[in-house]
Amino acid sequence: MSKARAVLSRIKSVESTRQITKTMEMVATAKIKRAQSRIEAARPYAIKMVDVLNSVAQHVGAGSHPLLEVHEETKNVVIIPITSNRGLCGAFNMNILRRSEAIYREETAQGREVSFVAVGRKGAGYLRFAEYNIIAAHTEFTDRPTFIEAKAVADEVVEMYQEGSIDKVYIVFNHFKSALEQKPTIHQLLPVKQAEISGGGGEAEAGGMSVEHEFEPDAVRVLYDLLPRYVNTVVLRALMESAASEHAARRIAMKNATDSATDMIENLTRWYNRARQAQITQEIAEIVGGANALQEA
Amino acid sequence: MADRKLLCEVVSPENIVYSGEADMVVALGVEGELGIMPQHIPIVTPLALGELRIFNGGQREFVAVLGGYLEFRENKLTILADAAELSHEIDIARAEAKRIAREHEIAEAKASGKMLLEAEVSLRKALIRLRVAQKG
Repeated sequence: MSKARAVLSRIKSVESTRQITKTMEMVATAKIKRAQSRIEAARPYAIKMVDVLNSVAQHVGAGSHPLLEVHEETKNVVIIPITSNRGLCGAFNMNILRRSEAIYREETAQGREVSFVAVGRKGAGYLRFAEYNIIAAHTEFTDRPTFIEAKAVADEVVEMYQEGSIDKVYIVFNHFKSALEQKPTIHQLLPVKQAEISGGGGEAEAGGMSVEHEFEPDAVRVLYDLLPRYVNTVVLRALMESAASEHAARRIAMKNATDSATDMIENLTRWYNRARQAQITQEIAEIVGGANALQEA
Repeated sequence: MADRKLLCEVVSPENIVYSGEADMVVALGVEGELGIMPQHIPIVTPLALGELRIFNGGQREFVAVLGGYLEFRENKLTILADAAELSHEIDIARAEAKRIAREHEIAEAKASGKMLLEAEVSLRKALIRLRVAQKG
């Protein structure tokens, strides 16, 4: 019975696939935790940064920095979709790319030029294939984003923004809400929104607002130094969120794969047993039939 | 009587490097060295590449701070460092290797200005790490 044998080897193959998906699931589970604690560790810096920025912005007044300034005309828009380098993580990357394309359509409908700075191999590959205008692609980032990596992305767009060659920058990433939920999020990176840095955004403690700081050398210079750094921090945060989300998405995808492999193995095994049983029954029938024929002779 | 000590926290974008009390903290600001003691007036200043010295009782702690920010208010000092390492956590071998590599690079690539600038900054970082590590 060659068919039964084929099913048997199919079962073996599904079993080994399941072993792989099961392992990937466990690896992802472990990595979520680490990525999450990395987000936690980065939080004090981000909060403090907004705090300081707050008091500086108050001192200097609004609109006194090129990165805060809204360009008169918005002609060129940059979208930074943050995707993963590896696949097997469900709709993780597609969610990001679809959002990015939605912004693309919206902005081009208003007659604006849109280009991309792709982060992650998956996004870069997709955008290149769809023949979008790509300014830069970062495919070398790991799943443990560092400040230097974030700076590489941020510096690029900050420079272009200050030159005036671009007028708006969006960053699109998966926000890590929990191990079960990741939310594709669109954030306007540049120009930096006033509301973000003056109150509201930061957890400015009561009484902290009234403190008059002394600035060395002076407030304007401090602001100039601080804002690009703030943009870095925002990018870093997005990268970290995305890394954690990727692991979470992969865990779910691999869990589903493992579950359906288990189902498949069950069905195949049932089929195989039935076929084997049928074969035995038939063999017995043949032997009995043969014996009867001999007796009659 | 107001607090006799100040609270000092060194945070980098990736983690909290140091957190504790101090009698005095000396940092290298862009305008020169800066000593912060309890009840200093609120201040914000960018930091140069340099070492941070934290004095607490008889103890001293050295931190290599590779650029960043200093903020002091309400008796709390926060260093927002681009990168920071405690003296005893510095990988001396790695810093030394980096120093040698950069020195070679600078010697070789005297041609392009930009390359040189980056290498020089990198060399200075390595030197600061080494200096701080030796004190710790």
